[in-house]
Amino acid sequence: MSYVLLITFPLALGASCFLLRHETRLVIGVAVAALIAHCALVILTPVDQPVRLLGLTLNLDPLGRLFLAGFPAVTALMILATWRLPHGEHFVSIALVIIGVASAMIVLLQEPLMVALLLVSAGLISVLAIVDLPSRASQLVEPRVIASALKYLVLMALAGALAYLGFVLINVYRPGITPDLIAPRLVLALIVAAFGLRMALVPFHSWLPDLVEDASPLVSAIIVVVLNTTGLLFLISVLQFFPTLVAENERGLALLTWLGAIAALVGALLALVQDRLRRIAGYLVVYNAGMILFGLATITPAGLMGAVFEAFNQMLAVPLLMVSLVLLEQPDGRPPKAMRRDLLWRWPVAGSGLLCSCAALIGLPPLSGFASKMLLYQVAAHYGAPMIALLIGATLLALLALARIARDWLIGAPEDQPVAEAQVLLGATELDMPSQRRLTSEPFIAAIVVLVLLGISLAIGLYPQPLIETIAEVIRGLTFVRPDVVR
Amino acid sequence: MPIFTINWAIVSLALSSGMVLLLRDWRITIPAMLINYLSVAWFLAQQQFITPDLTIGELTLSTTIVVKVITGFAASAILGITAVTFSREYNLEDLDEFSLAELRRAARRAQRQRAGEPFRLADYVVPFWALVLAALASIALPRLYPIGSQTIDFAWYWLGLTGLFTIVLASDTLKTGLGLLLVVSSIDLVYTAIASTVQVFPLALLSLTTIVLSLSVAYLSGLMYGRLKTLDLSVLYKP
Repeated sequence: MSYVLLITFPLALGASCFLLRHETRLVIGVAVAALIAHCALVILTPVDQPVRLLGLTLNLDPLGRLFLAGFPAVTALMILATWRLPHGEHFVSIALVIIGVASAMIVLLQEPLMVALLLVSAGLISVLAIVDLPSRASQLVEPRVIASALKYLVLMALAGALAYLGFVLINVYRPGITPDLIAPRLVLALIVAAFGLRMALVPFHSWLPDLVEDASPLVSAIIVVVLNTTGLLFLISVLQFFPTLVAENERGLALLTWLGAIAALVGALLALVQDRLRRIAGYLVVYNAGMILFGLATITPAGLMGAVFEAFNQMLAVPLLMVSLVLLEQPDGRPPKAMRRDLLWRWPVAGSGLLCSCAALIGLPPLSGFASKMLLYQVAAHYGAPMIALLIGATLLALLALARIARDWLIGAPEDQPVAEAQVLLGATELDMPSQRRLTSEPFIAAIVVLVLLGISLAIGLYPQPLIETIAEVIRGLTFVRPDVVR
Repeated sequence: MPIFTINWAIVSLALSSGMVLLLRDWRITIPAMLINYLSVAWFLAQQQFITPDLTIGELTLSTTIVVKVITGFAASAILGITAVTFSREYNLEDLDEFSLAELRRAARRAQRQRAGEPFRLADYVVPFWALVLAALASIALPRLYPIGSQTIDFAWYWLGLTGLFTIVLASDTLKTGLGLLLVVSSIDLVYTAIASTVQVFPLALLSLTTIVLSLSVAYLSGLMYGRLKTLDLSVLYKP
């Protein structure tokens, strides 16, 4: 019963919020309360007690519970941040629906065909959030936003089709009976392409930087945090339920570890050469997806632990990054086309949030990404010098991209230099004087949200042990994990 | 080949998806998509992959086939209605003067573009060769990677490939959507035809996904037409 409630509760609240969407403040309040209740519900739900309902197996494993508690918590913070910030008319209701669908996917992880289709449906629903405009907006939706939405729609539908086809083929495959008909290699290739598209791995990444650049940052955050992370959990469960994919694909998985490392390197390189803040942020997420793939493809306890921890880190760092971006892009009283290079001094909380979120994605101490990156480097060391050089090279490039963000947008000289008072000329009136500029301050609630996310990231970075133990316990229960690396 | 051995369901399926790939006018492609859904249902009913549990007059059918027909009608109707009405009009009184001017400019640009675009046979050359390529691949792939019987393999490879080529060659949003629907129809066919046990929920969810997909495409098409007065994808990438 509680499993069904996990799915239906956010969906019902999402529908209610849709009906009340013009009452912005009320909807935000209801949604935050609902998400806190959902988080509590997840924590109280018993784990590993599978039930059968209408022919489907519903279960919540400890890893699923960890992420399912995290999703509503960070979504509640993001929704809270929109209190005084412009956001799409349907953002809150779509966020709740996506949480409901993500809950369904995590509870139904033992039904891969269902989860593949739910992932597509969630992607299609999020398209509505991408092209969403604030209530009674006086502007039109930009053509490039429609282009990004269309690209996302097409790629996610194709990803779903590839994954579904892979599961159909693996259902037909019988080891020893039909070995030549459907090679597990083909199935692994289909599934990797599907998840590559979903998680924006190079070379399937093009949708993510476009999305981050064109859509509202909070919508991008929901998509990356909830849907991409659920995709990762789904991939782990696929490997668990179809061990043939691991057992008969030694070379394929070895290739994937290299592809993951190369994807991280290319992602970081592309982040470095971008000239727009949002695109750099998007490519840093692409870099991180490569690191996650590397950890996952090693199929070792440390690698998987690193990948899952990294996904958890992403769940904190991406909302922090996106809320900070929204804050930094707020009009601050200066002319809209003025180059703004002093954002850290102008808006210290949002500026620090941006710096720290990028640092967390890159894995700088003492933030939450440090422990996961160390785990990944530890595994890479077993593969030899070229692999560790690739990963460290990727991280150094990402670090350079962060330095570029700091130089170009954050720590430039403050624009507000003291100006000598102009001499009042004879006959001058008040209308002849330049108007006094009123620079607005950081929106209070959004700044608090940034500080809370920053605090959590810092706390996990300083004391990662409980999280590592929880993840390690789950990894120990996975049957496909190998004790050592296979080169 | 004697005429009585021709599988007309396959012929209808192949022709309708070929028309979706080859032609540009939604007045032809959307009905072709509907015919395609009906052909897939006809083919599945003919092959009896699922035990029939429904009798309509002298016809014995599986409920799954009926669900597929309803899904096909729903998806085609959604796209058809969108194409006929074609506009999600903005609430003009909410818009500022810049946005109103931008809308007028977009309408003029689209009108000019339509006037300057006569029928050109050259526009159909690439889709035609794509169709030939899809036909060759659909004949070769069932031999190289057989999954079910030759007929099933030809049907799903053909649907999938024409769908993919339609997406790649589409010049408007609606046609991209039709390509996606062909791809989804292809995996629906392969699942129904070859899965050892066909489960109700994945099939139901697949139908639901098809409808949600056509709704999303319809929404985006409406939004794009309302904003740019055209569905031409090239307009989206103009600076």
